[in-house]
Order: sequence, then C-alpha cells, then structure tokens
Amino acid sequence: MRVLILGYRGNPYCGGQGIYIYNLSRELAGLGVYVDVMAGPPYPDPVDEWAGFYPVENTNIWGVRTKYIPYDKLTRLYSPWNFLDFILTRLRIFPEMETFSFRSFFALEKILKQKRYDIIHDVQSLGWCTVPMKGYGIPIVTTVHHPLTKDRESDLAGNFGLWDKVTTILFYPLVMQGFVIRRIDRVITSFREGVDELVKAFRVRKERVSVVYNGIDVNLFQNTGESREDDALLFVGNTDDSKKGISYLLEAMSMLPEEVTLTIVDDGPPAKFTATKLIEKYGLGHRVRFTGKVDYDKLVSLYSRKTMLVMSSLFEGFGLPAVEAMSCKTPVVVTSAGALKEVVTGECGVIVPPKDPVALKDGIMKLLRSKTLREKMGRNGRKRVEENFSWQVAAEKTLEVYRDVIRKYRSRR
Amino acid sequence: MPRAKTWGFLAVVLSAGLFGLIVFSVFIINYHDFSLFNSINLSDLNSLTYYSVSIPLAVVSLFVLCTGFWIGWVILTIKVVPPMPEIAEKKDNSRIKAGLLCLVSAFLIVLLLYGIYKRSFWALAVPSLVISIVVLGAVFWIGMAIITTRSTLLVNKK
Repeated sequence: MRVLILGYRGNPYCGGQGIYIYNLSRELAGLGVYVDVMAGPPYPDPVDEWAGFYPVENTNIWGVRTKYIPYDKLTRLYSPWNFLDFILTRLRIFPEMETFSFRSFFALEKILKQKRYDIIHDVQSLGWCTVPMKGYGIPIVTTVHHPLTKDRESDLAGNFGLWDKVTTILFYPLVMQGFVIRRIDRVITSFREGVDELVKAFRVRKERVSVVYNGIDVNLFQNTGESREDDALLFVGNTDDSKKGISYLLEAMSMLPEEVTLTIVDDGPPAKFTATKLIEKYGLGHRVRFTGKVDYDKLVSLYSRKTMLVMSSLFEGFGLPAVEAMSCKTPVVVTSAGALKEVVTGECGVIVPPKDPVALKDGIMKLLRSKTLREKMGRNGRKRVEENFSWQVAAEKTLEVYRDVIRKYRSRR
Repeated sequence: MPRAKTWGFLAVVLSAGLFGLIVFSVFIINYHDFSLFNSINLSDLNSLTYYSVSIPLAVVSLFVLCTGFWIGWVILTIKVVPPMPEIAEKKDNSRIKAGLLCLVSAFLIVLLLYGIYKRSFWALAVPSLVISIVVLGAVFWIGMAIITTRSTLLVNKK
C-alpha cells in the first residue's frame, strides 16, 4: 500500500500533528506500507529513514507584525500564495491550512506524474483544495482529534470586547473545515464521544467517522525508577486554556491538607496570569510551583517522581498527559470530560465529574490515602497504555481504516 | 543594492503611483462635480458585459459582508463555557456591538444587491476601489518592509 500523509505543520514541537505525522509514518513504514510525507514548515524531524518527504512552502507569519517578518521571508511575499497569506494574516485570518491545501494540490499534481498513491491521509488541515484533490482519483481520509469549535468556545470564554471576539472567530476556519470534512471519504478521530462531537460541530455522517486512539512513545515514557515524592500532585497543560479547568483544581487544592503540593508544567507569570490570580485568591502561593516548558527527559522524570497526575479538564480530545503519566506507572485523577473517560479506566485512575472541585478533592484524597492502590493503578496504567495507546497499535488500527476506505472506494468505481 | 531591495523599491513606487492615480482620477479631476458619476448610465451596456463584471465583484463583496454578518451572528448566538473569573467581573457590551455589526452588514448586503440590480455605478465602483486599495496597500506595505529591513547583520567593529 502507498500512502501520502499531508500536514500543514510538521514540527513535533509546534502542535500535535507534527508528533502524529512523525510517529505514524514510522510505524506504518514498519508495517510494510510505502509512506510519503508532505508537510509545511516548521518541517518534521528527518523522516527519510522510512518515508519520502516533500516540503511545502509556508511563511508562518500569522501574528507577526510586518516590520518583524524576517528579511528572507519578506522577499518571498510577492509570490501568489505567500501574498495571499500576507493579506489574510493582516486581516487576522489564520490561512495556513487553506494555503497549504492549495500548495499541496499543485505539488501533488507534479508528483502524480511519477508515482501513484492508494490513499491520502490529511492530518487536520482540511483546506478548501482538499476537495478538488479527490479529482486525482485517490480516496482521502483525515484525522481530526477534536473539532476546532471546542477551541473557539474556549478562546471566546477568555475574550473581552468585540475586537477580541472578532479576531478569535476569524482565526478559526470552521466554515472551510465544515465544508471540506463533509466531503472526505473517512474521518479518523481519537475517541468515541468525538464522533458525536464531529456530527454536532460539522454535520459529518456518523458512518464516515472511525475511532483510532492516538499513540504515545511507550519507550520514551517509562518510569525512571526515581523515588516517588509524597503528597505531590502534577498538572500538565496550558493554564490559560479554560478547557483545562485549572480553576477547579486550584479550588480543590484549597480544600486539601497543607502538605499537599502542586507542580504545574506550564509557564507562570509573567507569561501567563490566569492560574497566578487564582493561586493568590486561594492563598496557595507556597504550595504551587510552575516549571515552565520542559523537555521530554524532564517531563518523564516529573511523571515518575510525583505522587499522581491530576487533570481537571472540561473537555479533552485525547488527554495526552494522562496517557503519558499512566505509561510512567503514575496513577491519575481525571474528570470524565471528553476522551478522558475512555482513556482512563477505574483500574488505573480515579474518574470524577467535571466542574466539581469537591469530587476532585475526594478523588485526590482517595489516592493519597492508599499507597497500595496507587501502585496497583500505576501498574494497570502501564499495561493499558502498552495494549491500547502505543504508536504501533495506532498504526495498525489506522491501516485497517485505510484498507476499509480503499475497498469501499474501489467498489464504488 | 540587493535584487530583492530593487523589487521592493519598484513595488513601493508602482503601488504608490497607482494609488495616486486612483485618487487623482476619482477625486481630484472630478472634485467640482461628483454628481456626474450618478449620471453614468450602465443600462446601455449589454447584459452579458455588465454581469460579467458585476457578478465577480459582487461575489467578493458579498463574501466580505457576509463574513461580517456571520461574525456578529456568532458572537450574538454562541453559548460558551462560563468565562474566566477576571472576564466575568467586567461589563462586556460586545453583544450590542455584534448586533450593530449584523445590522450594518445586512444593510450593506441589501444595498449592494439593490445597486447591482439597478445597475448603479457606485455598486461597482466602491467595491472595486476598496479591493484595489487593499491589494495596493499590501504591495506597498511589503515593499516598504523590504526596503527598511536590514538584509544582513551589522558588522561588529570590535
């Protein structure tokens, strides 16, 4: 089977799609699939060992004032797609997905003169030109971890005033994505409830959506063997994102015993203030610490040392920190929001209702009281991750979806 | 001068020149009697000629105006999770402004469609002028940035 994976941003450090492309392409190649990757900048870590790579230009100038655009990019702005990028970004529109689709459409035309693909896998770009790509006679699947409507709602909740709201609405290309996603052969999402979310957000037909859980690198996320700290909670996520529900966790912290501490893997002040204001409000300054952004080694060490991970989310499209923690044999306390109730079972963590700080506190206390329970849940968590959330499993399930789509596509023709 | 700077310079001159020409030909030449634009009769044009020009212009203009209406409508109707504490305490009148945005956009949409139907000169001229100014402005802006940005780092004299 020959697969072309498309992604408007390929770098693992600027969004989930980079990690997804890198790992999925590697595992698919390991399963004997011929894989090519076409991605926009920042480009992925080298994939040439297992896949062909076609870079697609993009200026990445959203949010960059014209006078701060680097000289080498400025000199390229008069080319048609870059010029369109420039005008749209000045109007506060985020055009990377749409211009990526146009660029990849024309790039693909040239590539198809030399080779053929059995399937195209678009990783959540869903630009306008993905639709005419169907004219090449190749079925197209797309991965959408969760609809952007959730992100837009979250951003709007943090906006004040008309201008803030207008720019948020302009930023998210929901009309385009809704139009395109309804015309794609199959949509892959990472949790069962996501099917309903996609139906609700974009009116996608249910039978066109398949669930394939995301993967993580189970070899990277392994318990380091460092000794566990007592009464030490860990939170990993963007504290300015209201979907993460940090306010509920901090309220729960105010009800927990004094010796319980919280480490937040995110920037604190001066970069971010939402959590800081709440920490002041609840008088938790001496019990909460920010680490800032950390590299993988440090993150794995944190997962391995802290007593438990807490996720107080109001919505999760997958719940990556919970899976990473489970992979490091760390028990978790999570809300039942979004994908979390599918990812975490009662055997590897405590599940509490969202928006309920008392339930969150009770869940944390339940684990704090019993070391035996924590260790048992930690072992179960690792087992669950290995069986369900490794990249190899994700690639095998994705390959099943490819085969099904290709079979149905060919039977129609 | 590096080649890119030459192109930047040319872009600035060209876009500024064309903008000046628009201002001169529309506003300066006719400053004594703008009413003469009202007397331009597009009814004499063949329908195919008229609509081949007016429909593309109308599509672009409607796209922009409908976007304005849609943004206002989303702000008016969307139900989001409760706002952050610091936002909830402030008085936000963005819904009133969003309502106004919807009304203004709807009014302009009706005006544009009526103008195109009645073959008004203004229904073609105003969108053309706006589109031209946006494009020329972008060309000028990029050109200025190319001219004024250093292409190499300063030489460290030490």
